[in-house]
Amino acid sequence: MLTAGPAKKVTIRVSENHKYHGQSAYAAILDFLFYRGVSGANVVRGIAGFGADRHMHTARIESLSADLPVTIEFVESPEKVEELLPKLHEMASTGLIEVQDTTVVKASEVSNKRAQPSAPALKREGTAKLMRIFIGENDKWHDKPLHKALVESMRANDIAGVTVNPGILGYGANRRIHRDTALHLSHDRPMMLSVVDTEEKLRAFFPILDSMVQQGLVVLSDVDVIKYTHDYEGEGRRKEVRS
Amino acid sequence: MKLEGKAKMLWIHFGEDDKWNDKPLYRAIVEKCRELDIAGATVFRGIEGYGASTLIHRSHLLSFSSDAPLMVSVIDSEDKVQKLLPFLDEMVDEGLIAMSEVEVIKYVHQDGARS
Repeated sequence: MLTAGPAKKVTIRVSENHKYHGQSAYAAILDFLFYRGVSGANVVRGIAGFGADRHMHTARIESLSADLPVTIEFVESPEKVEELLPKLHEMASTGLIEVQDTTVVKASEVSNKRAQPSAPALKREGTAKLMRIFIGENDKWHDKPLHKALVESMRANDIAGVTVNPGILGYGANRRIHRDTALHLSHDRPMMLSVVDTEEKLRAFFPILDSMVQQGLVVLSDVDVIKYTHDYEGEGRRKEVRS
Repeated sequence: MKLEGKAKMLWIHFGEDDKWNDKPLYRAIVEKCRELDIAGATVFRGIEGYGASTLIHRSHLLSFSSDAPLMVSVIDSEDKVQKLLPFLDEMVDEGLIAMSEVEVIKYVHQDGARS
């Protein structure tokens, strides 16, 4: 967060048609600043200008494809600016980058209080196990799609989380090719379930898994857990479930 | 076919438009895996991503010609996976291949269980 005091103001000038990896350079720069946590940035489109290439950029009516000068401005701490400059240098390529000393008299504040989470996000780190289950979309368990039954069963057994991903092509233990048909009417896609929890929790679930999965592949691997949760009121249960 | 204990899992990332001998690369990889009697291979389609070329791959909702990012997961014993690697090396021009260790909990099939 930007605080009052000495800071740097960075101005980047590029042309509107300037590209960076197929995207508008100014949009790419703005995205970069946003995701690198810069406290604020502005893009200003000029109405006319010229740069190093001595080409006059204007918005006059006779020019159909407007290629106007675009200025991106932001104010950040000197350390942050230092950190961002090498990448900005690359993204602006033929454009101009200017850095000025400035002083922040009053830092801007978040106007909408609701934009901030009511409770700080909890970050949990540690090692856990990732279990991957490969089955087919048509596999059933008591007349219910097996992947659905597995998710319900894991929820009931308090497993931290599971995600089902459909594949588009695959084969497994029975050597039979599973394929997503072109018209998406009769699905027999391969399905992968990713489950993350502690080793004890997963091992305790194996007997249930064993009774449900009649064919398929189940593998386990080590993962580092980096998880963010919200400590919602009344959901304290989550806290004791995971560590 | 039996598979148990320690095994290797490969994740191969590339684009849906990638070809191998005029055939979609993902299909060629799955066929090669079957040919080498690899325990299993599954292809997944992503909806957006970027990789070695830093070009954004995106699947187009209304078009059949999509260049979505694809991932192929392959699991088998280390020696079988090692046999596959030289072929992958030749087939995947632009992409990423990552290998990790896994423990096989279950690898079963029932003859005739499917229609």
